[in-house]
Amino acid sequence: MKKDKTNISKPKSGMGRLLELAATKKPLIISSVILSALASIASFIPYIAIYFIVREIMEAYPDFNQLDVKKTVGFGWIAFGGIIGNILLYYAALVCSHLAAFGTLYELKVNFAAYIAKLPLGFHLTEGSGKVRKIMDENIEKVEGFIAHQLPDLVAALVAPVVMTAILMSFDWCFGLAALAGIIAAFIVEFRAYGNANAKTMMDKYQTSLEDMNNASVEYIRGITVVKAFKQTVYSFRRLHETIKNYTSFVIPYTLSWENYMSGFTTIVNNIYLFLIPVGIIIGTRTSDYKAFAITFIFYLLFVPAISSIMLKIMYVSSSGMQIINGVERMDLILNKAPLAETREPKTCKGYDIEFCRVSFSYEEDKENRALADVSFTARQGEITAIVGPSGGGKSTIAHLIPRFYDIAEGSIRIGGVDIREMKFEYLMDKVSFVFQDIYLFKQSITDNIRIGNQNATDSQIIAAAKAAQCHEFIEKLPEKYNTVIGSKGVHLSVGEQQRIVIARAIVKDAPIIVLDEATAFSDPENEYLIQKAFEKLMQNKTVILIAHRLSTIRGANNILVMEKGQLVEQGGHEGLIAQKGRYYHMWNMYTRSLDWKMHSKKEAEIHG
Amino acid sequence: MGNLKELLLLTEKGYRDLKKAILACTVTNLSLMLPFGVTIGIFMELLKPFMGEEISWIKMWGYFLAGIGAAVLVFLANKNDYKKTYVTSYNESEATRIRVAEHIRKLPMSFFNSKDLTELTTNMMGDCATTEQVLSRVIPQLLANGISIVIVCIMLSFFEWRLALTVFITVPVAFFVILGSRKVQNRLSESHIQAKLKASDQVQEYFEGIKVIKACGLEGDKFAALDDALRFMKKIAIQMEFVTGIFVTGAQIIVQAGVGLTVFAGTYLLTGGQIELIPLLMFFLIVVRIYGPVLVELTLLPELMYLRLSTKRMRTLISTAIMEGSTEKEIKNFNIEFDKVSFSYNKVNTPEESVIKDFSVSIPAEGITALVGPSGCGKSTVSKLIARFWDVDGGTIKIGGTDIKTLDPEHLMSYMSFVFQDVVLFHDTIYNNIRIGNMEATREQVLKAAEAACCDEFAGNLREGYETMLGENGSTLSGGERQRISIARALLKNAPIVLLDEATASLDPENEVLIQQAISRLIKGKTVIVIAHRLRTVAGADKIIVLNQGRLVEEGTHDTLIAKKGLYEKLYRIQQESMGWSV
Repeated sequence: MKKDKTNISKPKSGMGRLLELAATKKPLIISSVILSALASIASFIPYIAIYFIVREIMEAYPDFNQLDVKKTVGFGWIAFGGIIGNILLYYAALVCSHLAAFGTLYELKVNFAAYIAKLPLGFHLTEGSGKVRKIMDENIEKVEGFIAHQLPDLVAALVAPVVMTAILMSFDWCFGLAALAGIIAAFIVEFRAYGNANAKTMMDKYQTSLEDMNNASVEYIRGITVVKAFKQTVYSFRRLHETIKNYTSFVIPYTLSWENYMSGFTTIVNNIYLFLIPVGIIIGTRTSDYKAFAITFIFYLLFVPAISSIMLKIMYVSSSGMQIINGVERMDLILNKAPLAETREPKTCKGYDIEFCRVSFSYEEDKENRALADVSFTARQGEITAIVGPSGGGKSTIAHLIPRFYDIAEGSIRIGGVDIREMKFEYLMDKVSFVFQDIYLFKQSITDNIRIGNQNATDSQIIAAAKAAQCHEFIEKLPEKYNTVIGSKGVHLSVGEQQRIVIARAIVKDAPIIVLDEATAFSDPENEYLIQKAFEKLMQNKTVILIAHRLSTIRGANNILVMEKGQLVEQGGHEGLIAQKGRYYHMWNMYTRSLDWKMHSKKEAEIHG
Repeated sequence: MGNLKELLLLTEKGYRDLKKAILACTVTNLSLMLPFGVTIGIFMELLKPFMGEEISWIKMWGYFLAGIGAAVLVFLANKNDYKKTYVTSYNESEATRIRVAEHIRKLPMSFFNSKDLTELTTNMMGDCATTEQVLSRVIPQLLANGISIVIVCIMLSFFEWRLALTVFITVPVAFFVILGSRKVQNRLSESHIQAKLKASDQVQEYFEGIKVIKACGLEGDKFAALDDALRFMKKIAIQMEFVTGIFVTGAQIIVQAGVGLTVFAGTYLLTGGQIELIPLLMFFLIVVRIYGPVLVELTLLPELMYLRLSTKRMRTLISTAIMEGSTEKEIKNFNIEFDKVSFSYNKVNTPEESVIKDFSVSIPAEGITALVGPSGCGKSTVSKLIARFWDVDGGTIKIGGTDIKTLDPEHLMSYMSFVFQDVVLFHDTIYNNIRIGNMEATREQVLKAAEAACCDEFAGNLREGYETMLGENGSTLSGGERQRISIARALLKNAPIVLLDEATASLDPENEVLIQQAISRLIKGKTVIVIAHRLRTVAGADKIIVLNQGRLVEEGTHDTLIAKKGLYEKLYRIQQESMGWSV
C-alpha cells in the first residue's frame, strides 16, 4: 500500500502502538498535547488565587479596613482568568485532537479495508462479516476516543502531578510530602487494579463475548426469513439468547471485580486532606509563628481538592485505555495476517494464453485434502476453454486461482508466459474479467454498478455495454433508468436481470481474458436467451475460461477440461471426448437424462430407469 | 421520570432498579460532602486563635478520626453505587436485547424486506450498548447530581443566602445555553447517526462484495462509495464535536464565572461587615469545588440528547406491529383458493401499480401446480403470499376454507415446507443445519432425511461428515450442496404443502440428477406449488398457472396450454431454442 503508514513494520503493542497510530498527524497531536498541558496548569490558578485572597483577608483580620480590596478583587479576577484559560486551552486542545482523531480514523478504516482486500479469499469465507464490521465500526472507532480525549488527558495527567508536586513542595515541604503520600496511595490502588496480568485476559474475554454476540445477531437476522419458514425462530433465537446471556454473565462479575479498586481510588482521591491533618497537628503544636502556619495549612486544605479532578481523569484514561488497546490488538491481528505478496519487479505480458503448469493447491494447510492436484493445461488466446465436472471437482478453484484470490502451493500459473505472481495486482486485474456465479450488485446506481468494471468508462460506453449485455431495455423501463439505485424501494430485479448487469460490468472492462461461470440456469425462460446473447458479445475474440454446468452449452468449446476430485481426468473437444467413452461420456448421458425429468404427483419420478 | 421508562424501554424491575441506582448515586454524591464538612470543622478550629480563643488539638485529632470515619462511609457509598448502577445497567440491556430479538422474530416478513441487515443489527446491538451506557453512566449521574446540587443549594441558602445566590446564579444561565442549543445539536446528531449508519452499511457491503472488489481492483479508497461514506462521516463528526464543544465550553465558562462573582461579592460583604470571616472562607472553599457536579451535568446533558435520538430507532422497531392470528385452528384439507387477491410491496396509488392484480385461482390439494411466467410476473410473490410472508392488500387467500389472515404466521408455516433459491445456512454443523427442519426429530430421522436428499454424497467426503462445521452462511458449500441441505430440511419437516422453486440448475450435471431425485421424494403425495423456470420440468404438472405482470393470463395442463398457442406456448418455444445454445 502506498500510503500505509499505519501498517506495522515492527510490531508494537499496548500504549506504544496507540501512540504510533496517533503519530500520523504529528503537528496536530503535538499542539493538542501542549495546549492540554497548559490547560491543566491553568486549572491550578484559581486555587492559588483563592489562597492569596484568603491570605490577604487573614493578614487584615480582624480589622478589614486594612484589607486591600483592589488587590483581593484582583486575585478574584486571576482566579476567574485561570478558569477561562483552562477551559479555552482545553477546548483548543480538543479541537486539535479531534481533527487529528477523525483524520486518523478515516485513514485507519480505509487502509484496513484496503488491506483486507489483499488477503486471500479464504479469510473472508471463514471470518464472519459481522466480526470484521465490528472491528471497523467499534474497535477502530475507539481509537478516536483515544486520540481525541485520552491522549490530551493523559498528557495533562502526566504534567499535572509534576506541576502539582512543584506547587505542593514550594509552599511547605512537610505538607507537600503529606499530600504526595496521598497521591501515591491513589496511584498504588490504580496500579493494582490495572497492573495485574489477569486484567488483560479478562478484557480479551470480554471482547470475545461481545464479538460472539455480534456474530450471533448478524446470523440471527440473516436467517430470520428461513427460520420463520421452519417455525424455528425459537431455536435460532435461543442461540442468540445464549450469547446475550453469556455476555451478561461475564460482564457483571468482570465489572464487579473492579468494584473495590474503583471505590478505593475515588475515596482516596477525595480524602487526601486526611493525610494533611496529622502533619498539621504536629507542626501546629510546635510552631512559633501560628499565623503563618495557619495560612499554609489552609492553603493545602484548599488546594488538595484540585488533585481529585485531575486524578479522576487519570483513572478514566487507564480504564478506557485498556479497552482501546484491546480493540487495536484485534485490528492488528488481522493486519498481521500475511497478504498475498506483491512482486517488486513487476513484469508485463504480451500474449494472453493461460497456462497451468503442474498446479497443486489446497484450501487448508494440510496437503492431503488437495483441491487441485498436479493440474496442467493451456487455455489459448481466442479460444474457449470449458471446465466441467462434479461439484468439488476443482472447477471453481481454477477460476479463483487466476485472479490470485489464493496463491498456489506448487507449480505455476502463467499468462502469456509470465507467472501471475510476477505481475502487479492492478495489471493482472486489468487483464482479466470475471463473471461469477454468485452475483453481487452494490446498493448504488446501475451506472455505478456497471462502472465498477472500468472506472474510466464514459456514460455512452456504459450504455453501449448495457446494450451488448441485453440489459438496456429493462433498465430503460426502471423509474430512474440508469440512475436507479439497486435495492431501493420498488426496484425488483430478477436474478437474470442482475446477471446481465454483471455481464455488462465485464463487457465495459473489455479485458483480453474472460473467466466466467455459466450459471444462466437460474434465470427465467426469456432471460436465458438474452443472457446467452450477452455471453456471446462478451466472449468475442477473448481467451475464455468457461465453467460449464449445462453440457449442451459447451459442445462448441475448443477444449473441454474434465475435472474430478482436483484432478484433470480428460481433455479434448466434445466429439473426441464422447468417442473416448470415459468420464465425459458418462456425464453427457446423465445430463441428457436429467433434461427429461418431469415432476409427477402420483408416482415417484423415475429418472434412472 | 415516567417517560424515562419508556425512553429506555425499561422493564418494571429495571425501572425500580434504576431508581435505586439513582438513589445510591445521590447518596455517594452527598457522602462526598462529609470530607468537606470535616474540612470546614478544621478551618473553624484553625481560625480560633484569630478570634482570641484557644485552639484545641484534641478536637483536631477528633476531626481526623471523624474524617477517617467519613472516608469509610464514602468508600461504602461508592461501592454500593458502583454495584447498583452497573448490575442494573447490564441486566437491563440484556433484557432489552432479548426483548428486541424476541420482537424481531415475530415481525412480518415484509419488515425484513424493507430493512437491511446492517440497520437491524445496529439496532439490536448498537442501540442496546448505548442503553447500557446511558443506564450505567449518564442517567444515574445526571439525576443524582441534579438532586445533590439542589440539596446543597438549599442548605447553603439557609446558611448565607447572598453568597449562595452568587455561587448558583450562573448555573441556570448555563443550562439555558445548553437547552437552547438543543435544536442545533439534535440536527447535528441526526445527521451524525445517519452518516454512521451509512458508513457501517458501506463497510458491510464492501465485505460482502469483496470478490467483486478484489476482481476489479477497487480496494480501500478506490471503492468510491466506501470512501465517500467514510469521508462524509469524518466531516460530520468534526462538525458535531466542534459545535457541541462550543456550547459546552461556553456553558462551562458561564458556570464558573460564579467563582469571580463570589470573590467580589464576598469581599465587599466582608469589608462592609455584612458577613463573618468563617462563612466567607467556607464559601471560598465551596466555590472551587461546587461546580464539579454542575460541569458533569453540562457534559452529560448533550450526551443524553444524542442518546435519545440514537435509541429512537429501537423504539420504532419495538413498536412495529407484529402479525397475529390463531394458533389453534387446524387445517384439514389443503385446497388453496385465491379470491380477487391484490398485493404490492410498497404503497401504491393506482391498482395498476400493484405487483399482483385481481388474482383468482384455485390450487388443488395433493397435486402439482406450477406457476409460470416471464421474470417479474409475480410468481414468486404468489408463492410467498400463500405462506403469509405478507398480508394481501385486497381479496383473500384460503387454505382448506380458512382465511390465512386469521392464522398465526408460525402456525401457518407448520403446514408448509419451502425449497427456495436462496438457502440460508447457519454457522453450525451440517447435522444441525438439517435438524432445523424439525427439532424434535431423532438422529436417525435426520440422517434418513439427509440421505433421501442425497446429502450423503458430499457430507461423506468431509472429514467430520455431518458434524462438519459450516462457515458463515455456509460459505464453504457449493450451490447444489446448499440446495440439497434445504431439501433435507423440508423432508424432515414433512409438511403437507410444499412450496418449491425449481432452481435445480446452476448445478453440475451429476448434482442435478441427485437434486431431482431428492425433489421427487419430497413432493410425493403433497400439495405442491412450484415456481417453474424450466418449463419442460413441469410439463407433467396437474395444473399450470401462467402469470404476466401480476395477472392470471392462462391456466390448464401442458397440453391444453400448448394447443391454445398463448403466452405459455411462446415461452416454451423460446426455451426449447435456448436449450440448444452452444458456445
